[in-house]
Amino acid sequence: MSTHSADLSPGEPGDENVLAKIKALFEAVDPAPPDLAERVRFAVALADLEAEAARLVEEAAFEPALTRGTAEESRTITFDSTELTIMIRIDANADGTVRVDGWLAPARACRIEVSLRDGVLGVEADADGRFAFPSVPRGTVRFVVRPPAQHAQAASDSSGNARMKTVITPALVLLTAW
Amino acid sequence: MEESLASPAGIPIRATLLDGLIPELTPLLWQVARAAGLGAEDAEDVVQSSWVSLLSHLDTIREPGAITAWLVTTTRREAWKVAAARRKTRPADTERLADIPDPRPSPEDSALLDAEQRALWGALRTLSPRCQELLRIVAFVPRPDYDAVAVQLRMKRGSIGPNRRRCLDKLGQALRDSSGDS
Repeated sequence: MSTHSADLSPGEPGDENVLAKIKALFEAVDPAPPDLAERVRFAVALADLEAEAARLVEEAAFEPALTRGTAEESRTITFDSTELTIMIRIDANADGTVRVDGWLAPARACRIEVSLRDGVLGVEADADGRFAFPSVPRGTVRFVVRPPAQHAQAASDSSGNARMKTVITPALVLLTAW
Repeated sequence: MEESLASPAGIPIRATLLDGLIPELTPLLWQVARAAGLGAEDAEDVVQSSWVSLLSHLDTIREPGAITAWLVTTTRREAWKVAAARRKTRPADTERLADIPDPRPSPEDSALLDAEQRALWGALRTLSPRCQELLRIVAFVPRPDYDAVAVQLRMKRGSIGPNRRRCLDKLGQALRDSSGDS
């Protein structure tokens, strides 16, 4: 392994000392702006979202009577990304949690995850692109749709062949009643 | 380490990984950009865009040292590109760009420096621009990432021949010369 390191590998004992002094010198005369790392972090977070974020395109609340006969409404929410439309429907469970039914279009077998404040729930969509979370705690969540290849074999394809991006929705609050 | 790069939950862990690396490596990349002769604003832009483009390469990078090497190489390449473009639009500035362009007070008489640092600064300035750049970058590379960065720098810029040993020897000589003078 050291055969590659002729240029930079540690050499004579005094070298590290000299390099430490060079570092201190430039930290004194030309330090990175103190807020640069923070601005980088923000730029990275933003770019990350733009690359993968689904947009909320439609949201509707239904009158309850048709479905469950409870006082609570159902909501349907639609998200769009470049390759995928995600529709979810949220219904109240009697125990205070919510049930989430979803559809992916075009239909494909993906893994769907709900990222909660303190963990992740995951289910597989079936061949029709349907998926269901029978019981999700109320609160703020994001949905993450991951292509099958990615969770099965960790991004190993370099072909780029029909590779779907991971799509993440904006955060939403899982509630059926207001 | 691979596991932390390919996270189970997607973006949040990726962002966490970057959150840890960003404060650690941004000062290094700043020095890389400045050593190429960029002004402060250009240097900040180049550093930022290196990090952003890392996002789309993260899946192909397998170890932390390789991330450092990738960032250093990308920042350096981009910084030289921008520096060259600046030189073209401001031909009168070529001499100044060979130095470290800096609106701040000149380090020679900066009150921030002690006598030893002023001597070191003076000695550094006698080296070739390539040696100055190499030593400045190397001084900021985290030690565990040395090898990965060395391989990258040498492959991509073979003709520059970054040679730490040679540059350090010259620096040592310059320091001895100057202390003999005074």
